[in-house]
Amino acid sequence: MKKPSIKTCRRLCQLLIIVMFIVIPILNKNRYSLLYGNLLSFHFWVIPLADPLAVLQLTLKNLSITFDSFVGAFISLFVAFSLGTVFCSWMCPFGFLSELAVNSSKKILPRSYKGFALVAPGFKLKFSIFIAGIGFFLIFSTTPVLNQLSLPAWYTRFFQYLFGQGYFSLSILVIAALLLIEFIAKKRIWCRYICPQSVLLSLTKRLNKKRLIVGFNPQKCRCKGEREHCTESCSLSLKPKKVWNLEDMECTNCGDCIVACKQVGKALTFQMGGEKCDSQEEPL
Amino acid sequence: MSGNRFLRPPGARTEKEFLSRCLQCGQCAQVCIFDCIVMHTGFNPFVAGTPEINPKIAACHLCMRCSAICPSDALHDIPIEQVRMGFAEIDRKKCYQWAEFLLCRSCYERCPIKWVAMELERGEYPVITDKCAGCGLCEHVCPAKAIIVTPTRYVDAGRKNDGGK
Repeated sequence: MKKPSIKTCRRLCQLLIIVMFIVIPILNKNRYSLLYGNLLSFHFWVIPLADPLAVLQLTLKNLSITFDSFVGAFISLFVAFSLGTVFCSWMCPFGFLSELAVNSSKKILPRSYKGFALVAPGFKLKFSIFIAGIGFFLIFSTTPVLNQLSLPAWYTRFFQYLFGQGYFSLSILVIAALLLIEFIAKKRIWCRYICPQSVLLSLTKRLNKKRLIVGFNPQKCRCKGEREHCTESCSLSLKPKKVWNLEDMECTNCGDCIVACKQVGKALTFQMGGEKCDSQEEPL
Repeated sequence: MSGNRFLRPPGARTEKEFLSRCLQCGQCAQVCIFDCIVMHTGFNPFVAGTPEINPKIAACHLCMRCSAICPSDALHDIPIEQVRMGFAEIDRKKCYQWAEFLLCRSCYERCPIKWVAMELERGEYPVITDKCAGCGLCEHVCPAKAIIVTPTRYVDAGRKNDGGK
Protein backbone atom coordinates (compact mmCIF):
# COMPACT_ATOMS: atom_id res chain seq x y z
CA MET A 1 0.00 0.00 0.00
CA LYS A 2 1.21 3.48 -0.83
CA LYS A 3 2.24 5.53 2.13
CA PRO A 4 0.04 8.63 2.44
CA SER A 5 1.91 11.84 1.73
CA ILE A 6 2.67 14.43 4.40
CA LYS A 7 0.04 16.68 2.90
CA THR A 8 -2.69 14.05 3.13
CA CYS A 9 -1.84 13.39 6.77
CA ARG A 10 -1.85 17.09 7.51
CA ARG A 11 -5.17 17.71 5.81
CA LEU A 12 -6.71 14.82 7.75
CA CYS A 13 -5.35 16.20 10.98
CA GLN A 14 -6.72 19.68 10.22
CA LEU A 15 -10.09 18.29 9.22
CA LEU A 16 -10.21 16.25 12.39
CA ILE A 17 -9.73 19.41 14.48
CA ILE A 18 -12.24 21.37 12.38
CA VAL A 19 -14.87 18.67 12.80
CA MET A 20 -13.96 17.94 16.41
CA PHE A 21 -14.73 21.46 17.58
CA ILE A 22 -18.09 21.36 15.81
CA VAL A 23 -18.94 18.03 17.37
CA ILE A 24 -17.76 18.75 20.93
CA PRO A 25 -20.51 21.29 21.79
CA ILE A 26 -23.12 18.91 20.37
CA LEU A 27 -21.75 16.03 22.41
CA ASN A 28 -21.62 18.18 25.54
CA LYS A 29 -25.20 19.23 24.99
CA ASN A 30 -26.12 15.54 24.92
CA ARG A 31 -24.12 14.86 28.08
CA TYR A 32 -21.16 13.03 26.60
CA SER A 33 -18.42 14.21 28.83
CA LEU A 34 -14.88 13.55 27.79
CA LEU A 35 -13.90 16.68 25.90
CA TYR A 36 -14.54 20.25 26.98
CA GLY A 37 -13.48 23.71 26.05
CA ASN A 38 -12.24 25.67 23.09
CA LEU A 39 -8.81 26.47 21.74
CA LEU A 40 -8.07 28.86 24.61
CA SER A 41 -8.28 26.12 27.17
CA PHE A 42 -9.27 22.56 26.65
CA HIS A 43 -9.77 19.39 28.64
CA PHE A 44 -9.34 15.97 27.13
CA TRP A 45 -10.58 13.78 29.96
CA VAL A 46 -8.09 14.83 32.68
CA ILE A 47 -5.43 16.16 30.34
CA PRO A 48 -5.55 19.95 30.11
CA LEU A 49 -4.37 21.96 27.14
CA ALA A 50 -4.15 25.73 27.05
CA ASP A 51 -3.20 28.62 24.85
CA PRO A 52 0.16 29.82 26.26
CA LEU A 53 -0.72 33.47 25.64
CA ALA A 54 -3.96 33.16 27.63
CA VAL A 55 -2.01 31.56 30.48
CA LEU A 56 0.66 34.26 30.25
CA GLN A 57 -2.02 36.93 30.68
CA LEU A 58 -3.50 35.02 33.59
CA THR A 59 -0.09 34.81 35.23
CA LEU A 60 0.85 38.44 34.60
CA LYS A 61 -2.35 39.81 36.12
CA ASN A 62 -2.69 37.48 39.06
CA LEU A 63 0.99 36.70 39.69
CA SER A 64 -0.04 33.11 40.23
CA ILE A 65 -0.78 30.13 38.06
CA THR A 66 -3.03 27.14 38.50
CA PHE A 67 -1.88 23.58 37.99
CA ASP A 68 -4.27 22.93 35.12
CA SER A 69 -3.35 26.00 33.13
CA PHE A 70 0.36 25.46 33.80
CA VAL A 71 0.26 21.88 32.54
CA GLY A 72 -1.90 22.93 29.59
CA ALA A 73 0.45 25.69 28.50
CA PHE A 74 3.46 23.47 29.16
CA ILE A 75 2.16 20.75 26.84
CA SER A 76 1.50 23.28 24.07
CA LEU A 77 4.92 24.84 24.48
CA PHE A 78 6.63 21.46 24.65
CA VAL A 79 5.09 20.44 21.34
CA ALA A 80 6.41 23.68 19.85
CA PHE A 81 9.77 23.07 21.50
CA SER A 82 10.22 19.67 19.90
CA LEU A 83 8.27 19.92 16.64
CA GLY A 84 8.22 23.66 15.86
CA THR A 85 5.03 25.62 15.37
CA VAL A 86 3.12 22.61 14.08
CA PHE A 87 0.01 23.92 15.80
CA CYS A 88 -0.34 26.58 13.11
CA SER A 89 -0.09 24.22 10.16
CA TRP A 90 -1.47 20.97 11.52
CA MET A 91 -4.18 22.01 13.96
CA CYS A 92 -5.27 25.65 13.84
CA PRO A 93 -8.73 25.83 12.22
CA PHE A 94 -8.18 29.38 11.03
CA GLY A 95 -4.84 28.35 9.54
CA PHE A 96 -6.65 25.67 7.55
CA LEU A 97 -9.31 28.07 6.27
CA SER A 98 -6.71 30.71 5.47
CA GLU A 99 -4.64 28.14 3.57
CA LEU A 100 -7.69 27.17 1.56
CA ALA A 101 -8.44 30.82 0.83
CA VAL A 102 -4.90 31.56 -0.37
CA ASN A 103 -4.56 28.33 -2.35
CA SER A 104 -7.85 28.87 -4.11
CA SER A 105 -6.96 32.49 -4.86
CA LYS A 106 -3.72 31.20 -6.43
CA LYS A 107 -5.80 28.94 -8.65
CA ILE A 108 -8.70 31.26 -9.44
CA LEU A 109 -7.13 34.70 -9.71
CA PRO A 110 -4.88 35.29 -12.75
CA ARG A 111 -1.22 34.35 -12.39
CA SER A 112 -0.05 37.81 -13.38
CA TYR A 113 -1.77 39.31 -10.34
CA LYS A 114 0.69 38.99 -7.50
CA GLY A 115 -1.54 40.10 -4.67
CA PHE A 116 -0.51 42.61 -2.01
CA ALA A 117 3.20 43.25 -1.78
CA LEU A 118 4.19 42.55 1.81
CA VAL A 119 7.88 42.00 2.07
CA ALA A 120 8.83 42.97 5.60
CA PRO A 121 9.91 39.99 7.70
CA GLY A 122 6.64 38.76 9.18
CA PHE A 123 7.98 37.90 12.56
CA LYS A 124 9.21 41.41 13.37
CA LEU A 125 5.75 42.87 12.80
CA LYS A 126 4.10 40.03 14.66
CA PHE A 127 6.44 40.46 17.60
CA SER A 128 5.81 44.22 17.71
CA ILE A 129 2.06 43.60 17.75
CA PHE A 130 2.58 41.03 20.49
CA ILE A 131 4.58 43.46 22.64
CA ALA A 132 2.09 46.29 22.02
CA GLY A 133 -0.75 43.93 22.89
CA ILE A 134 0.88 42.86 26.14
CA GLY A 135 1.50 46.54 26.97
CA PHE A 136 -2.12 47.41 26.29
CA PHE A 137 -3.24 44.47 28.37
CA LEU A 138 -1.05 45.42 31.34
CA ILE A 139 -2.10 49.07 31.34
CA PHE A 140 -5.73 49.10 30.29
CA SER A 141 -7.22 45.71 30.92
CA THR A 142 -7.88 43.43 33.82
CA THR A 143 -9.26 40.66 31.64
CA PRO A 144 -7.21 38.48 29.27
CA VAL A 145 -8.23 40.72 26.39
CA LEU A 146 -5.67 39.37 23.92
CA ASN A 147 -7.78 36.22 23.76
CA GLN A 148 -10.00 38.18 21.42
CA LEU A 149 -7.19 38.17 18.86
CA SER A 150 -7.18 34.40 18.75
CA LEU A 151 -9.05 33.43 15.61
CA PRO A 152 -9.01 29.68 16.34
CA ALA A 153 -10.74 30.56 19.61
CA TRP A 154 -13.33 32.60 17.73
CA TYR A 155 -13.94 29.69 15.43
CA THR A 156 -14.41 27.22 18.27
CA ARG A 157 -16.46 29.66 20.33
CA PHE A 158 -18.82 30.19 17.42
CA PHE A 159 -19.89 26.56 17.68
CA GLN A 160 -20.02 26.71 21.47
CA TYR A 161 -22.50 29.57 21.12
CA LEU A 162 -24.41 27.93 18.30
CA PHE A 163 -24.92 24.46 19.72
CA GLY A 164 -24.55 25.26 23.41
CA GLN A 165 -27.02 28.09 23.67
CA GLY A 166 -28.55 28.48 20.22
CA TYR A 167 -26.97 31.87 19.60
CA PHE A 168 -25.67 32.71 16.15
CA SER A 169 -22.55 34.72 16.82
CA LEU A 170 -21.59 37.29 14.22
CA SER A 171 -17.93 36.53 14.89
CA ILE A 172 -18.10 34.20 11.91
CA LEU A 173 -18.48 37.27 9.70
CA VAL A 174 -15.21 38.68 11.00
CA ILE A 175 -13.48 35.41 10.12
CA ALA A 176 -15.13 35.43 6.69
CA ALA A 177 -14.05 39.03 6.08
CA LEU A 178 -10.46 38.22 7.00
CA LEU A 179 -10.50 35.21 4.71
CA LEU A 180 -11.80 37.39 1.89
CA ILE A 181 -9.00 39.90 2.45
CA GLU A 182 -6.45 37.08 2.39
CA PHE A 183 -8.06 35.73 -0.77
CA ILE A 184 -7.68 39.09 -2.51
CA ALA A 185 -4.21 39.68 -1.10
CA LYS A 186 -3.03 36.18 -2.08
CA LYS A 187 -1.10 36.25 1.18
CA ARG A 188 -1.75 34.74 4.58
CA ILE A 189 -1.70 38.13 6.27
CA TRP A 190 -3.09 37.16 9.67
CA CYS A 191 -0.99 34.06 10.23
CA ARG A 192 2.25 35.55 9.02
CA TYR A 193 2.08 39.16 10.13
CA ILE A 194 -0.39 39.54 12.98
CA CYS A 195 -1.38 36.45 15.01
CA PRO A 196 0.03 37.12 18.51
CA GLN A 197 -0.88 33.62 19.73
CA SER A 198 1.90 32.08 17.64
CA VAL A 199 4.64 34.36 18.97
CA LEU A 200 5.24 32.42 22.19
CA LEU A 201 5.30 29.17 20.22
CA SER A 202 7.85 30.61 17.80
CA LEU A 203 10.01 31.92 20.61
CA THR A 204 9.91 28.56 22.38
CA LYS A 205 10.87 26.55 19.34
CA ARG A 206 13.87 28.81 18.93
CA LEU A 207 15.29 27.47 22.19
CA ASN A 208 15.68 23.98 20.78
CA LYS A 209 18.36 23.49 18.16
CA LYS A 210 17.41 19.84 17.71
CA ARG A 211 13.76 20.37 16.85
CA LEU A 212 12.00 19.25 13.70
CA ILE A 213 12.94 21.49 10.79
CA VAL A 214 12.85 21.53 7.02
CA GLY A 215 16.38 20.66 5.97
CA PHE A 216 17.81 21.54 2.58
CA ASN A 217 20.51 19.63 0.74
CA PRO A 218 21.81 21.92 -2.06
CA GLN A 219 23.58 19.05 -3.82
CA LYS A 220 20.28 17.41 -4.61
CA CYS A 221 18.46 20.56 -5.72
CA ARG A 222 17.80 20.40 -9.44
CA CYS A 223 15.83 23.58 -10.07
CA LYS A 224 18.57 26.18 -10.23
CA GLY A 225 17.37 29.24 -12.05
CA GLU A 226 14.11 27.59 -13.05
CA ARG A 227 10.77 28.10 -11.33
CA GLU A 228 11.08 26.84 -7.81
CA HIS A 229 8.41 24.35 -6.87
CA CYS A 230 9.11 24.67 -3.17
CA THR A 231 8.64 28.45 -3.08
CA GLU A 232 5.47 28.20 -5.13
CA SER A 233 4.00 25.58 -2.86
CA CYS A 234 4.61 27.49 0.39
CA SER A 235 1.32 29.02 1.46
CA LEU A 236 3.12 31.50 3.71
CA SER A 237 5.22 32.66 0.71
CA LEU A 238 8.50 31.77 2.39
CA LYS A 239 11.56 30.50 0.56
CA PRO A 240 12.01 26.96 1.86
CA LYS A 241 15.64 26.80 0.78
CA LYS A 242 16.46 29.64 3.12
CA VAL A 243 14.18 28.62 5.91
CA TRP A 244 16.90 27.48 8.24
CA ASN A 245 18.81 30.75 8.37
CA LEU A 246 16.34 33.43 7.33
CA GLU A 247 12.71 32.64 7.79
CA ASP A 248 13.15 30.03 10.41
CA MET A 249 10.86 31.82 12.87
CA GLU A 250 8.00 31.79 10.40
CA CYS A 251 8.15 28.26 9.00
CA THR A 252 5.37 26.15 10.47
CA ASN A 253 6.67 22.75 9.33
CA CYS A 254 3.64 22.16 7.15
CA GLY A 255 5.70 20.07 4.74
CA ASP A 256 4.15 21.42 1.54
CA CYS A 257 7.57 22.28 0.14
CA ILE A 258 8.82 18.79 0.92
CA VAL A 259 5.92 17.27 -0.98
CA ALA A 260 6.56 19.61 -3.93
CA CYS A 261 10.27 18.84 -3.90
CA LYS A 262 9.70 15.10 -3.87
CA GLN A 263 8.86 15.20 -7.57
CA VAL A 264 11.99 17.17 -8.43
CA GLY A 265 15.08 16.34 -6.46
CA LYS A 266 14.16 15.41 -2.91
CA ALA A 267 16.45 18.16 -1.67
CA LEU A 268 14.08 19.18 1.09
CA THR A 269 13.33 16.79 3.96
CA PHE A 270 12.18 16.91 7.55
CA GLN A 271 15.06 16.49 9.94
CA MET A 272 15.69 16.87 13.63
CA GLY A 273 17.93 19.88 14.04
CA GLY A 274 20.81 20.51 11.73
CA GLU A 275 23.40 22.90 10.44
CA LYS A 276 22.79 25.91 8.26
CA CYS A 277 21.50 25.22 4.79
CA ASP A 278 24.84 25.62 3.05
CA SER A 279 26.21 22.60 4.88
CA GLN A 280 27.31 19.75 2.67
CA GLU A 281 26.19 17.00 5.01
CA GLU A 282 23.55 14.49 4.13
CA PRO A 283 20.34 15.12 6.05
CA LEU A 284 19.79 12.69 8.88
CA MET B 1 -32.26 45.71 37.21
CA SER B 2 -32.74 45.21 33.52
CA GLY B 3 -32.25 42.27 31.19
CA ASN B 4 -28.54 42.08 31.83
CA ARG B 5 -28.97 41.20 35.48
CA PHE B 6 -27.18 37.89 35.55
CA LEU B 7 -25.30 35.84 38.12
CA ARG B 8 -21.81 34.44 37.90
CA PRO B 9 -21.52 30.66 38.34
CA PRO B 10 -21.09 29.27 41.87
CA GLY B 11 -17.61 29.58 43.31
CA ALA B 12 -16.85 32.73 41.29
CA ARG B 13 -14.38 35.06 42.93
CA THR B 14 -15.10 38.76 43.29
CA GLU B 15 -16.02 40.22 39.92
CA LYS B 16 -12.67 41.88 39.26
CA GLU B 17 -10.63 38.84 40.22
CA PHE B 18 -13.01 36.57 38.37
CA LEU B 19 -12.65 38.51 35.14
CA SER B 20 -8.89 38.65 35.38
CA ARG B 21 -8.77 34.88 35.73
CA CYS B 22 -11.51 33.74 33.36
CA LEU B 23 -9.95 32.39 30.17
CA GLN B 24 -13.32 32.49 28.37
CA CYS B 25 -12.99 28.85 27.39
CA GLY B 26 -16.61 27.97 28.12
CA GLN B 27 -15.84 24.68 29.85
CA CYS B 28 -18.15 25.57 32.74
CA ALA B 29 -21.00 26.12 30.29
CA GLN B 30 -20.29 22.83 28.58
CA VAL B 31 -20.06 20.84 31.78
CA CYS B 32 -23.28 22.31 33.24
CA ILE B 33 -25.87 19.53 33.15
CA PHE B 34 -28.72 21.95 33.86
CA ASP B 35 -27.79 24.19 30.93
CA CYS B 36 -28.01 27.22 33.16
CA ILE B 37 -24.55 28.61 32.41
CA VAL B 38 -24.30 30.46 29.13
CA MET B 39 -21.41 32.39 27.65
CA HIS B 40 -21.69 36.17 27.49
CA THR B 41 -22.54 37.15 23.94
CA GLY B 42 -21.66 40.28 22.02
CA PHE B 43 -18.48 42.02 21.03
CA ASN B 44 -17.33 43.68 24.26
CA PRO B 45 -13.77 42.31 24.22
CA PHE B 46 -13.44 42.49 27.99
CA VAL B 47 -16.33 40.22 28.87
CA ALA B 48 -17.30 38.28 25.74
CA GLY B 49 -17.25 34.57 26.41
CA THR B 50 -17.39 34.80 30.21
CA PRO B 51 -19.98 32.58 31.89
CA GLU B 52 -23.23 33.89 33.31
CA ILE B 53 -26.51 32.56 34.65
CA ASN B 54 -29.89 34.10 34.08
CA PRO B 55 -32.11 32.53 36.77
CA LYS B 56 -35.24 33.57 34.94
CA ILE B 57 -34.31 31.20 32.09
CA ALA B 58 -32.46 28.43 33.92
CA ALA B 59 -31.19 28.45 37.47
CA CYS B 60 -28.16 26.88 39.09
CA HIS B 61 -28.65 23.71 41.12
CA LEU B 62 -25.32 24.08 42.92
CA CYS B 63 -23.95 20.82 41.53
CA MET B 64 -20.52 22.53 41.48
CA ARG B 65 -19.30 20.75 38.37
CA CYS B 66 -18.31 24.08 36.83
CA SER B 67 -16.03 25.10 39.64
CA ALA B 68 -14.40 21.67 39.58
CA ILE B 69 -13.50 21.91 35.92
CA CYS B 70 -12.42 25.57 35.74
CA PRO B 71 -8.77 25.40 34.63
CA SER B 72 -7.80 28.87 35.81
CA ASP B 73 -9.52 28.87 39.20
CA ALA B 74 -11.78 31.78 38.26
CA LEU B 75 -14.44 29.58 39.81
CA HIS B 76 -12.91 27.97 42.84
CA ASP B 77 -14.07 24.72 44.26
CA ILE B 78 -15.74 25.55 47.57
CA PRO B 79 -18.42 23.82 49.65
CA ILE B 80 -22.00 24.76 48.79
CA GLU B 81 -22.47 26.56 52.10
CA GLN B 82 -19.81 29.10 51.16
CA VAL B 83 -21.24 29.94 47.73
CA ARG B 84 -22.41 33.54 47.45
CA MET B 85 -23.65 34.18 43.93
CA GLY B 86 -26.20 36.74 45.00
CA PHE B 87 -28.82 37.60 47.59
CA ALA B 88 -32.41 36.55 47.18
CA GLU B 89 -35.21 38.74 48.49
CA ILE B 90 -38.89 37.89 48.79
CA ASP B 91 -41.39 40.59 48.07
CA ARG B 92 -43.96 39.69 50.74
CA LYS B 93 -46.68 41.67 49.03
CA LYS B 94 -46.42 39.55 45.90
CA CYS B 95 -45.68 36.19 47.54
CA TYR B 96 -48.78 33.98 47.46
CA GLN B 97 -48.00 32.53 50.85
CA TRP B 98 -47.25 35.81 52.60
CA ALA B 99 -50.18 37.52 50.93
CA GLU B 100 -52.39 34.72 52.22
CA PHE B 101 -53.53 34.08 48.68
CA LEU B 102 -52.53 30.47 48.14
CA LEU B 103 -50.65 27.75 49.91
CA CYS B 104 -47.33 27.81 48.07
CA ARG B 105 -43.95 26.53 49.05
CA SER B 106 -42.37 26.27 45.59
CA CYS B 107 -39.28 28.20 46.59
CA TYR B 108 -38.75 26.25 49.77
CA GLU B 109 -39.22 22.91 48.03
CA ARG B 110 -36.65 23.71 45.37
CA CYS B 111 -34.00 25.37 47.53
CA PRO B 112 -30.87 23.15 47.28
CA ILE B 113 -29.86 24.01 50.85
CA LYS B 114 -33.21 24.31 52.60
CA TRP B 115 -33.29 24.82 56.37
CA VAL B 116 -29.99 26.58 55.94
CA ALA B 117 -30.65 29.18 53.28
CA MET B 118 -34.40 29.13 53.56
CA GLU B 119 -36.61 28.53 56.55
CA LEU B 120 -40.33 28.29 57.05
CA GLU B 121 -41.57 30.71 59.64
CA ARG B 122 -44.32 29.10 61.69
CA GLY B 123 -43.99 26.13 59.33
CA GLU B 124 -45.57 28.01 56.46
CA TYR B 125 -44.02 31.32 55.48
CA PRO B 126 -40.73 31.17 53.52
CA VAL B 127 -37.93 33.30 54.90
CA ILE B 128 -34.52 33.65 53.28
CA THR B 129 -31.63 33.65 55.70
CA ASP B 130 -28.26 35.31 55.27
CA LYS B 131 -26.78 31.92 54.35
CA CYS B 132 -28.51 32.09 50.95
CA ALA B 133 -26.16 31.05 48.14
CA GLY B 134 -28.05 33.11 45.58
CA CYS B 135 -28.38 30.29 43.09
CA GLY B 136 -31.64 31.70 41.76
CA LEU B 137 -33.67 28.50 41.84
CA CYS B 138 -36.34 30.14 44.00
CA GLU B 139 -36.56 33.04 41.57
CA HIS B 140 -36.85 30.57 38.72
CA VAL B 141 -39.72 28.59 40.26
CA CYS B 142 -41.66 31.38 41.99
CA PRO B 143 -45.10 31.47 40.36
CA ALA B 144 -45.74 34.99 41.66
CA LYS B 145 -42.38 36.37 40.50
CA ALA B 146 -41.99 37.63 44.04
CA ILE B 147 -38.32 36.68 44.44
CA ILE B 148 -35.42 38.59 42.93
CA VAL B 149 -31.78 37.61 43.29
CA THR B 150 -29.33 40.50 43.32
CA PRO B 151 -25.93 39.39 42.02
CA THR B 152 -23.07 39.67 44.48
CA ARG B 153 -21.03 41.64 41.99
CA TYR B 154 -23.57 44.49 42.12
CA VAL B 155 -23.05 44.69 45.83
CA ASP B 156 -19.26 44.46 45.44
CA ALA B 157 -19.23 47.25 42.90
CA GLY B 158 -21.67 49.42 44.81
CA ARG B 159 -24.61 48.08 42.83
CA LYS B 160 -23.04 49.23 39.61
CA ASN B 161 -22.19 47.00 36.69
CA ASP B 162 -18.69 48.05 35.67
CA GLY B 163 -18.89 46.16 32.39
CA GLY B 164 -15.88 44.11 33.32
CA LYS B 165 -13.01 46.29 32.20
